[in-house]
Amino acid sequence: MSEKINYTQAFEELQQIVIEIEEGEISVDELSEKVKRATQLIKICKTKLTTTEEDVNQILKELEEGSAE
Amino acid sequence: MPEIFHDRPIFSLFEVTKSIQKTLTTRYGSSFWIKAEMNKLNHYKHSGHCYPELVEKKDGKVIAQIRSHLWRADFQRINKNFLHTLKEPLKDGVKILFEARITFDPVHGMSLWILDIDPSFTLGDLEKEKQESILRLKAEGNYDRNKKLKFPLLPQRIAVISVETSKGYADFLEVIDENPWKYNFFHFLFPSILQGDKAAAAIIGQLRKIEKVKHHFDMVVIIRGGGGDIGLSCYNDYHLAKEIAEFPLPVLTGIGHATNETVSEMIAFANAITPTKLAEYLIQKFHDFSIPVQKAEETITNRSQQILSDENSKLNSEIKLFRTLTANALMKNKNVLAQLTVFIKKDTWAQIENQEFQLNQKIKQIQSFSDRFFLFQENQTYLLAEKFISRAKLFLKTQSVEIESIEKNVENMSPIKVLKRGYTLTLLNGKSIKSLNDLKENDALETVFLDGKVISSVKSIHKIKKS
Repeated sequence: MSEKINYTQAFEELQQIVIEIEEGEISVDELSEKVKRATQLIKICKTKLTTTEEDVNQILKELEEGSAE
Repeated sequence: MPEIFHDRPIFSLFEVTKSIQKTLTTRYGSSFWIKAEMNKLNHYKHSGHCYPELVEKKDGKVIAQIRSHLWRADFQRINKNFLHTLKEPLKDGVKILFEARITFDPVHGMSLWILDIDPSFTLGDLEKEKQESILRLKAEGNYDRNKKLKFPLLPQRIAVISVETSKGYADFLEVIDENPWKYNFFHFLFPSILQGDKAAAAIIGQLRKIEKVKHHFDMVVIIRGGGGDIGLSCYNDYHLAKEIAEFPLPVLTGIGHATNETVSEMIAFANAITPTKLAEYLIQKFHDFSIPVQKAEETITNRSQQILSDENSKLNSEIKLFRTLTANALMKNKNVLAQLTVFIKKDTWAQIENQEFQLNQKIKQIQSFSDRFFLFQENQTYLLAEKFISRAKLFLKTQSVEIESIEKNVENMSPIKVLKRGYTLTLLNGKSIKSLNDLKENDALETVFLDGKVISSVKSIHKIKKS
């Protein structure tokens, strides 16, 4: 997963793949590629559900900088 | 009796104040109901008495002001009524309708002695203020402003305005931090008092602080609970409601009370009855995200397996069909080949025999034909030779007669013969003259005769006029 994709985009793209695959728009040739992509997207979404990257110290630092002005 | 000093009656201060007191007591013998704004309650905790500052304003200016007092026992009774009716204690800055007597004390001066305050008047006034706040927010286009913000798909990073020790905050954290689905929330507490006179300003202060670090958060929640329903009119404060409305992140409220919805709650992006409900609302948002992801996983797995197995069985049946078809075709062709072999063998012998017979016939025919042909050709050759000889003889004879006649003609035509017959030939510069146009006067003409020639010169030219 080299590209930087946010979870909202991941979610939307995943929904799109589901629609395509449900409506039978995916050929066997594309299937492997799509399933691979969907697996990546699912991983991004699931990771987002269970982790955050916010840092309390960073917020405290910014609050201090803000009040010092 | 007054003393006399320099013929003037004089009064002591006490006598004057006593007199005023007597006059006022006589004039204002009974109590009456007054409406006024209570600027300050001035409650003295130690004595329990209050000395409210009463004013009347017109266009923002004070047009009347008077001191008053409210004794401890009356205050306690009135405050209890207020808490019951308004869910608010008696406090600064409210309009009140009160029963009072005018009192005058020689030392303390004039004051209104408050006997009772009607909480329903204040309630009506607060309600009126609340409605005015709502109208003002609507007029300014702020009423829906926060609600129209885009809510993140996953409301994960929460700026919490609450009190660390409040039950509401604990309830909220319990739901979001200990959820069985392992959903991860990030929350950061911005502590603030949440009820009473100072709450609105305190909450506004924290909102402004959050705004500085808003990129770290998806939303703000204001959480309160477990503190009773007292002192919540701060949430009707116009300035707080406006701050919430204009806040760049969605602000959600979970104030936890049983009274009427406050203006701040109406303005907020979403309002939950309790902190727990608010936390459940956020969990639900996570479900709304998580469930489709799970479903997507299932659907994609099932469907792709289905597609593969469909494709597989399609392929298998194709192979089967192909096998059957090729086997049939092989068999059929084998039979045909065998039949053809037999047939060809048979037919070839017949053909050969037939061809041999035909060939012999032809040979015979050709022999007899060629015999006859040679005989015929021999006769023809003979006849032609005869004919040729007689024709040649005739031709030669005819030709010699014709040559003789031509010879005679040629002889007659020769210039000697012509000259002999008396004709002459005229030449100019050695060439015969075809037309008089070739001549001009004084040309030297040469006239040829049979026996010589004459040279003459042209005197004049006379052309024959053509008719």
